[in-house]
Amino acid sequence: MSVLFFLIGCSVCIALFFLVAFFWASKNGQHEDTYTPSIRILFEDEISASNPDDAISNEDK
Amino acid sequence: METQTSRTEEKLQCYHCGDEVSNTYYIVDEHHFCCLACQSVYQLLNSNKLNGYYSYNPHPGRSTKNNSGDLSYLDEENIVNQLIDFKDDDCMIITLYVPQIHCSSCIWLLENLHKINANILSSRADFMKRRVRIRFNYQQLSLKQLIALMDSIGYLPQITLQDVVKSERKNDQYQLIRKIAVAGFCFGNSMMMSFPEYFGMGSFEATYARLFGWVNLSFGLIAMLYSGRSYFSSSLKSIKQGRLSLDVPLALGIAMLFIRSAFEIIWNTGPGFSDTLCGLLFFLLIGKWIQRKTYDNLSFERDYKSYFPIAVTRILGGQEKAIALADLAVGDRILIRNQEIIPADAILLKGEAQIDFSFVTGEAFPVEKVLGEVIYAGGRQMAGAIELEVVKSVSQSYLTSLWNQPIFSKPSSFTSFSNTVSRYFTPVLLGIAFFSASFWILSGDYTKAWRAFTAVLIIGCPCALALSSPFTLSGILSVFDKNGFYMKHTLAIEKMATVDTIVFDKTGTITNPLDHKLAFQGKLSELDQLLVFSVCRNSNHPISRAIANSLPPFYRAPLAISAYEEIPGKGIRATADGNEVFIGTPHFLGLGTGQPIGTYIQLNGKVKGYYSIAQHWRPALPNVVQQLKETYSLHLISGDGCSDQHLLHDLFPSGTPLYFNQLPADKLHYIQALQQNGKKVAMVGDGLNDAGALKQATIGIAVSDDINNFSPASDGILSGTSFLLLPTFFRLAKQAMKIIYSSFCISLIYNIIGLYFAISGNMSPLFAAILMPLSTITIISFTRLAVYYCAFKNNMKR
Amino acid sequence: MQQLETFSYDNKIVRNFGIATIFWGIVGMSVGLLVAIQLVWPVMNFGTQFSTFGRIRPVHTNAVIFAFVGNGIFMGVYYSLQRLLKARMYSDVLSKIHFWGWQLIILAAAITLPLGFTTSHEYAELEWPIDIAITIIWVVFGINMFGTIIKRRERHMYVAIWFYIATFVTIAVLHIVNSFELPISAWKSYYLYAGVQDALVQWWYGHNAVAFFLTTPYLGMMYYFLPKMANRPVYSYKLSILHFWSLIFIYIWAGPHHLLYTSLPGWAQSLGVVFSIMLIAPSWGGMINGLLTLRGAWDKVRTEPTLKFMVVALTAYGMATFEGPMLSLKQVNAIAHFTDWIVAHVHVGALGWNGFMTFAILYWAIPKIYGTTLYSKKLASIHFWVGTLGILFYAIPMYWAAVVQGLMWKEFTPEGVLKYPTFLATTLQILPMHMLRAVGGTLYLSGALMMTYNLIRTMRKGSLLANEPAEAVALQPLIVNERSRHRRLERKPALFMVIALIVILIGGMVEMVPTFMISSNVPTISSVKPYTPLELQGRDIYIREGCVNCHSQTVRPFRSETVRYGEYSKAGEFVYDHPFLWGSKRTGPDLHRVGKKYPNKWHFDHLLDPTITSPGSIMPPYPWLIEQKLDTTNTASKIIAMRKLGVPYPDGYELQANKDLDQQAKSIASDLKANQVDVLSDREIIAIVAYLQRLGTDIKVKEN
Repeated sequence: MSVLFFLIGCSVCIALFFLVAFFWASKNGQHEDTYTPSIRILFEDEISASNPDDAISNEDK
Repeated sequence: METQTSRTEEKLQCYHCGDEVSNTYYIVDEHHFCCLACQSVYQLLNSNKLNGYYSYNPHPGRSTKNNSGDLSYLDEENIVNQLIDFKDDDCMIITLYVPQIHCSSCIWLLENLHKINANILSSRADFMKRRVRIRFNYQQLSLKQLIALMDSIGYLPQITLQDVVKSERKNDQYQLIRKIAVAGFCFGNSMMMSFPEYFGMGSFEATYARLFGWVNLSFGLIAMLYSGRSYFSSSLKSIKQGRLSLDVPLALGIAMLFIRSAFEIIWNTGPGFSDTLCGLLFFLLIGKWIQRKTYDNLSFERDYKSYFPIAVTRILGGQEKAIALADLAVGDRILIRNQEIIPADAILLKGEAQIDFSFVTGEAFPVEKVLGEVIYAGGRQMAGAIELEVVKSVSQSYLTSLWNQPIFSKPSSFTSFSNTVSRYFTPVLLGIAFFSASFWILSGDYTKAWRAFTAVLIIGCPCALALSSPFTLSGILSVFDKNGFYMKHTLAIEKMATVDTIVFDKTGTITNPLDHKLAFQGKLSELDQLLVFSVCRNSNHPISRAIANSLPPFYRAPLAISAYEEIPGKGIRATADGNEVFIGTPHFLGLGTGQPIGTYIQLNGKVKGYYSIAQHWRPALPNVVQQLKETYSLHLISGDGCSDQHLLHDLFPSGTPLYFNQLPADKLHYIQALQQNGKKVAMVGDGLNDAGALKQATIGIAVSDDINNFSPASDGILSGTSFLLLPTFFRLAKQAMKIIYSSFCISLIYNIIGLYFAISGNMSPLFAAILMPLSTITIISFTRLAVYYCAFKNNMKR
Repeated sequence: MQQLETFSYDNKIVRNFGIATIFWGIVGMSVGLLVAIQLVWPVMNFGTQFSTFGRIRPVHTNAVIFAFVGNGIFMGVYYSLQRLLKARMYSDVLSKIHFWGWQLIILAAAITLPLGFTTSHEYAELEWPIDIAITIIWVVFGINMFGTIIKRRERHMYVAIWFYIATFVTIAVLHIVNSFELPISAWKSYYLYAGVQDALVQWWYGHNAVAFFLTTPYLGMMYYFLPKMANRPVYSYKLSILHFWSLIFIYIWAGPHHLLYTSLPGWAQSLGVVFSIMLIAPSWGGMINGLLTLRGAWDKVRTEPTLKFMVVALTAYGMATFEGPMLSLKQVNAIAHFTDWIVAHVHVGALGWNGFMTFAILYWAIPKIYGTTLYSKKLASIHFWVGTLGILFYAIPMYWAAVVQGLMWKEFTPEGVLKYPTFLATTLQILPMHMLRAVGGTLYLSGALMMTYNLIRTMRKGSLLANEPAEAVALQPLIVNERSRHRRLERKPALFMVIALIVILIGGMVEMVPTFMISSNVPTISSVKPYTPLELQGRDIYIREGCVNCHSQTVRPFRSETVRYGEYSKAGEFVYDHPFLWGSKRTGPDLHRVGKKYPNKWHFDHLLDPTITSPGSIMPPYPWLIEQKLDTTNTASKIIAMRKLGVPYPDGYELQANKDLDQQAKSIASDLKANQVDVLSDREIIAIVAYLQRLGTDIKVKEN
């Protein structure tokens, strides 16, 4: 049943890959905010027509 | 998340904040607004094409009544540097706490700030933490301007001392999660590797048994070194301190699991216990994590830092200069403007002091202070600018010093149940281990002796035991939290269970400062009322609003107001179509002293009378007393006069000791006296003026109607609305202890079953692999369910 | 220094994949309907060798899984990935290559499978050249995806993306491992592993293909499209993250449950069972998370067809993921395995979960990218009801059939003999159910046709917004607050990806080395001999005709089976089977012990026209086996290949192989002649008869 060990190896490798991925994720702060992203995806992305100039004019409000 | 849902009544609502629009003269493109503030925010957003803000939720705004105050300290570079996360030549990153965040619109707007000002490079909101992280070009846009900008759209960040002293919990939080991940990974794989062992291998696979064993061992090693580290370190620490915490036997067990596995695998005498080891660590850490989560969710986390400003204006040789609070020294002369908080205990030197202690004591209305009086830190100046001299540094101030008292240095040094147990657990366990070992040695079976010894330490490892107490308590804690009782620490619950005597304070405790009756002494005609209303509705002062609300509805628009002037702490002067209106203190109206306290009305030079404020009993009081008097002996101490003594006599059972005109010190002594008679006393007070008593009592509960109130001396804050639940909380605390005891029994049973096999020296790996995680899981689920059940039985929110 | 960047989303590629999805969906379902009908009226095999059930069934499975669902996945991923990461796909060229490459692969499959080019591994039937093509295209997809991830403008990677990554990585590994083949000609190859080991590889793949091709990507899409459709955040984002990580770490191990009661080692079987059971938790977590997302929005569900589809999809997912673990329980498996139950189970997943969610996404996304609204909501909800009805009409009769047949197989008379000794009796019993199943399929297909019309009208209504403009702030380097309040800048995740891939590759190598060193140590049975050249050729014809689709070759250790078929199968008997031919469904009886059971003439007649020997049989006739000459040119290369794979043919045997072949053929031919059957010895039928007569005889020999 040598293949069994090969398969186990593959699976462990895959698992290992995801473990590393998990580490990266938590290090990268992917799990810092576990709520806002679910709202963020609901926003439609629209182009802001406001040109920079009048944006600056609001600077010191 | 609680989104602002439009109310069903057809009352007209402010397009921005949804507040009721009492009359309609703030209208822009057929949207109604309740006030100028809301209207201007709308206009600003509109001009920047940010109407999307209103499309995601109806009335997403919050009416911003509190003004930003003086931001000049944000020009001080050293202060700014303390606040920011990161800074390079042109861009700066800062994380701001924005309490107004409450719906998706908020997130949308705060993440589109760059549309308002191009110098804001990017911004990211965190809904749960109510924080926004902004990256901006500080050469073009100063931090101060940024804050001002956010204020202008109704999202004024709350910059406090807390921001400077960043918490470090986050970091080890992630450490824990990583540890769990590793443990879980090792667990899963080593379990898989152990399957052949458990389900028997074909003869031809046996050749691979060793390979499996070694792989297993390495997984075990990884798990122990990475995930199990903390147990060893903490147990070492506790041994150094001469205590035997439950981590000691835990660490012992873990170590034994590994050592024995190593032996068995290296000498090829058996499959070892690596899977058990990994599984054990996995579940232990999961338990730890759930616990941590519960604590994090508790609202009661902030300390005085989050209430204090970051900077204060110091007057030095006539020069006003903003300095960091930390640099504030005794003897400094500081300037406190309207709406600013007094950062340290100080003596009033100059100006009219109207100090609002509401967020300290829950007292709704400002207190007048006279020159030379010491003003405790934490009060908010409501009148004009004042000057004070600092008598205590921030860290020594009354409030902060109270706060900084470590809980355990309380007079009654109370040891928690689990500590008591752990003291005996380890010696007993070791005893059994050595006993069984020696038994087998005497009977000459050395291998069995070694097996028994290790097995005992392994199986006796109190994985379940260690969890039961903190789990139950944290569970109860969160139930309390959800029901408006905010405990500072789990120990308080164990104390609460022991209480036999309850002492009540009167004002603000059994009376409700918010629920006050405005009684008008005098007479007001229909027109007069309209005049008063027209004037008061322009003011944000609590009393003005109270008056405005108290008046009957009008069927005509309010009168036009001219020459409106509000003198903080004194009153309002205005002209309502031709009529001169004065509303305020007698002193403000130029009446002589000795007048009864109240808010006076003067129309066209004629005093019409005054509004007096009388506080009410909390409606639930009789009920609460009824329930409590069964099990507890009740006492009442009140700071003020005995005007309504007879009422109290009816409320409380006859023979209840009632004391009046008590100073804070007296209260404290009273508690001490009770304790000397071996009573376990719970003090239910209102925060500051009985802080000493609260601290002295076995457990101090501060009742307040604004849970953001900060009463450092107490063990917990009870929201006024939950006052009627007080008896239930006491009952729950008692039940919590019962749960703990029973869960201890359960885990002990597990240990005993295990020990039986262990001592006899024949414990199969499979047995251990099943028993140990099982016990942990049982306890976790049992405690949780039990807590929920209790909460359910006492119909509490869960 | 304004860092606001404007860019555009590539909607064209989404549209293309969308259309491909619809097109192949129709094709796949039609073929499905055809095979369903073939199981009732054999005449529907049309009497040509290219349209027999055995060859068409793989066309159906491949078309539905890799063409319909595959294109569906890419549509969903290309739509959501761009928007979630606030970035256009990494490279339009790669997108195009990906799209056209994938379509060509499907086309190749649609051509080669009817021609009989198959490896006989279920859901991996495609021959090695196509396998390589798949690998290349998959890598292209991967580069495109990770490229986009690396140049993203949104720091947080939404949970959907994690599901996509999981899909890519795992499928890559699975596909490669299950494609270790030794080619002997352009369209013929042998698997490296034999018998039990081959079976294990196949079902490790088979199960995880389901897990990571039909499940994880759809979960990802669910987590993106459902909230968008309902316009409310997912019920618990925390839970969804937990869902992902737990699913990932458990799924990979459930494979062996497809091989219960086979000669796979007991512990490996139990392993499969345990992990399958554990799978319920994350799966249901996901389903509940999805359904609760709609809490308070049920009024929307009443009006929005897309949400209707989603709700049923989630429910079907819940059912399938509950049923799966149940089926992996040995007791249940003993009855349900090899019956229509598995077919029903699969289709609840495919029709409900994959099909319905794909429809929902199409209905939602197509109008969006065409800047218009759906042509007819009414028609869409009619589609919904017809489709749902279709699923019910499909599943229920199949479950029924499964129970009936499963029990009939196992039923004994009080005297202790099989109640239904002839397998055919049990088949005929369930034909009505199969008819109903066809009805269900028809309903479902007609629903899909309605959708096609509806969407075409929608596209006409609007115009494709090929490049949808968008703007976002460039991704800022991450600043981490270290323990001691030091701050530092962190690099982009690109490096991490590289390292991770290297790690996995090295790991893979390390694992392979011993595998190829160690000779397979399955207990060899002395009496088990390699196939003779003729039998080997016959076996390849057996594979070509796809007999394995209806006939299993593994007798499980139950009384009911040993009595019906004979001695149960031993691991040692399959050591020379490249590939294994255990099969997964018994439309016809098991054949492992058929050898020497009937005279050659019986087999001849049966293949000429099954109804001669077994009246009412639904097996199609194979007259062309008699006409077609056996191609013996490749015998030598086959022998060599087999020897390479460890089959002990003596050196140089390939030279005299064909001589032996002729000899054996002649003997069979003469035997047939003796029974008044006149057939030339060089025909294919001789070879396949030889193979059938050899099946499972090695052990019998040993016994007597």
